Amino acid sequence: MTRISRAKRLVPAVIGGAALTLAVALPAGAASVKLPKSGVETPSSGTVSETGSSLLYPLFNLWVAGYNQTYSQLTVQTASTGSGTGITDASNGTADVGASDAYLSTSELQATPTLENIPLAISAQIVEYNVPGVTAHLKLSGKLLAQIYQGKVTTWSNSAIAKLNPTVKLPTLPIVTLHRADSSGDTFLFTSYLSKATPSGWGSSISYNTTVSWPNVSGALAETGNSGMVAGCKATPGCVAYVGISYLTQVLQAAQGYAALQNASGQYVLPSQGSIAAEAASFANKTPANGTISLIYGPAKQGYPIINYEYGIVNSKQSTTSTAKNVRSVLEWAVNPTLGNSATYLAQVNFQPLPTKVEAGSIKQILKVK
Amino acid sequence: MSVVGGTAGETPAVPPSPLHAAATHRDAAAHRRVLQVLRRSESGVWRWAGRIAVMLPLTALVFVLAVLAVKAAPAIRVNGWNFLTGSTWNAGSGYGGVTHTDGVAHPIGAEYGAWPLIAGTLQTSAIAVIIALLISVGCAFALTERLPRWISRPLGFAVELLAGIPSVVIGLWGILTFGPFLAAHVYPIIADHMPDVPVLSYFRNPVGHGEGLLTGGLVLALMIVPIISSTTADLFRQVPRLPKEGGEALGMTDFEVANRITVPWVRSGIIGATALGLGRALGETMAVAMIAGSIFQVAPNIYSPMSTIAATIVSKLDGAQTDGTGFAVATFAELGLILAVISVVVNLAARGIVHRTSRLGGPVGRGA
Repeated sequence: MTRISRAKRLVPAVIGGAALTLAVALPAGAASVKLPKSGVETPSSGTVSETGSSLLYPLFNLWVAGYNQTYSQLTVQTASTGSGTGITDASNGTADVGASDAYLSTSELQATPTLENIPLAISAQIVEYNVPGVTAHLKLSGKLLAQIYQGKVTTWSNSAIAKLNPTVKLPTLPIVTLHRADSSGDTFLFTSYLSKATPSGWGSSISYNTTVSWPNVSGALAETGNSGMVAGCKATPGCVAYVGISYLTQVLQAAQGYAALQNASGQYVLPSQGSIAAEAASFANKTPANGTISLIYGPAKQGYPIINYEYGIVNSKQSTTSTAKNVRSVLEWAVNPTLGNSATYLAQVNFQPLPTKVEAGSIKQILKVK
Repeated sequence: MSVVGGTAGETPAVPPSPLHAAATHRDAAAHRRVLQVLRRSESGVWRWAGRIAVMLPLTALVFVLAVLAVKAAPAIRVNGWNFLTGSTWNAGSGYGGVTHTDGVAHPIGAEYGAWPLIAGTLQTSAIAVIIALLISVGCAFALTERLPRWISRPLGFAVELLAGIPSVVIGLWGILTFGPFLAAHVYPIIADHMPDVPVLSYFRNPVGHGEGLLTGGLVLALMIVPIISSTTADLFRQVPRLPKEGGEALGMTDFEVANRITVPWVRSGIIGATALGLGRALGETMAVAMIAGSIFQVAPNIYSPMSTIAATIVSKLDGAQTDGTGFAVATFAELGLILAVISVVVNLAARGIVHRTSRLGGPVGRGA
């Protein structure tokens, strides 16, 4: 809201100084794009294509339906292809918008320096488990999960787990660790959490990435996609797995539990609207202009420790001005707190809206697309 | 044609006249000439179409290998021989920065060794071929020699229908039903009774959860049974009756007739069919990606999760594209090249065996 009112205030000034601004700006060849009062530029007829993250895909489809209610002249095609393909397609121009759960890596930015990663919404990750007889939310810490995924804690009745969960009766069941077989933003988030919780352990040996060299753990399984993780965990008593929060409904349907995770302040916190928003707020002032920041293991006392920005990957140099305008229009609509970032859309996939400050930053990034 | 036909078409209402008859005669002659020209050029067209068609598969093979080799060149240079023998698969971190080895840019920490994948590909295919061959020969024998026609025809049809089921469907069945069933009811029986001696100890506990090497091999076997069995059944039907009856007259049992006359008669054909099945098993992707467990390791026992070259390419290529240096994609091209080379070598070897056995001559009265 603040952004729109600021834009309103700016309008007279912009009109007043138009002649001067044009005289200065035009020779440089880059007429600056200005946000209209509505907060969303009106698109011309055409097509905008989106590919990438399977986590963002359901939300993007909801967004497209809502967007087309107002702007039916623009067709938006969506495809769930995985973050890697999304980034590649956006950088070589196959797709106009790539969706990714992870921000761009140094090497990707070196390959295509004109790529922008624009925060569109806030997601979180849950750690689920299938332990028969356990109905309470287990408390798990990053240190403990790192030990489990390194094969140092191998049964659910292990004293390390029992110490954190004194009231829960744990069975003597082997732990089966699940990780993603495909390269995934979720793996990036989970390994970031393990790295930050144990900088000298997991952080120095395995570190974080969209694929990592997983330690050999007896019985460990790898699954493809979030749905593969949920299905695999359902079929495997004793499993522990990490999935995006948009799959929470499926996890609950499969009658599996999810953990309260230890945050940097030592609190055990369940993923909820409040805890995710608290964590997001603690990063709002730190988010740089290019949107590149990890939101893992933040300082918020009641914050849930694994959250992330869902990014739209866009090449700031588009082939035509009309494509650029259409891409801007879709993204402006998506991050707008009364439109795409409202609970109408986000609540359906358990996502949270961007903090106001971050949304203003996203708009600045969107307006760079030309 | 159209000009000649046009003049004839302009005067349809005029009653037949000698002039008109002459015109139709001229038309017919022109028509014949055109046909002749067409026929002559047609044979030329056919010849050239044939030449191009026969060159296409070879060109495609050479093209694929060449493109893979070119794309893989940077990876081959950096990974070296360690790629064939090493057991580390670390894409490095694109977030950590980029470094150069021999002038090739790659993320810091990138290290690739594909031995577990090469071993996994050979292991699953070997299991598949051994089991599929036994089932297929038995199946073909039952279909052609033992069962009455009214059963064998629909049964044969059903076996061939199996080949038409998409591998992703078979994979789904494997992961949801077949694997868990085997792990719960079949594998424990095998594992509990295996003595701890070399080779057989590979079959001992733990049996896991149904995703792994043996499940992958069994599902692959199921997928190549139609290929081998339908070819083998056709071959069995071609074995002449006379030598078989001769064998029976000499007092051979059914098994001896099959073992000494029928199977040796068509041995080279069966080997050829098996090579086809093996080719399919080596390259099968989706089903294996779903049920092999996708763990990067040489399976410590036969029930353990593992992965193959094709399955790894399909599940990890998306992520490889996030490597901005392009090194991961080059490595996957190298992986594809290795799979292509394995397939070509296997096929050439099978061809060699077929060639050798077909020269050996058959048993009793071959060619009677």
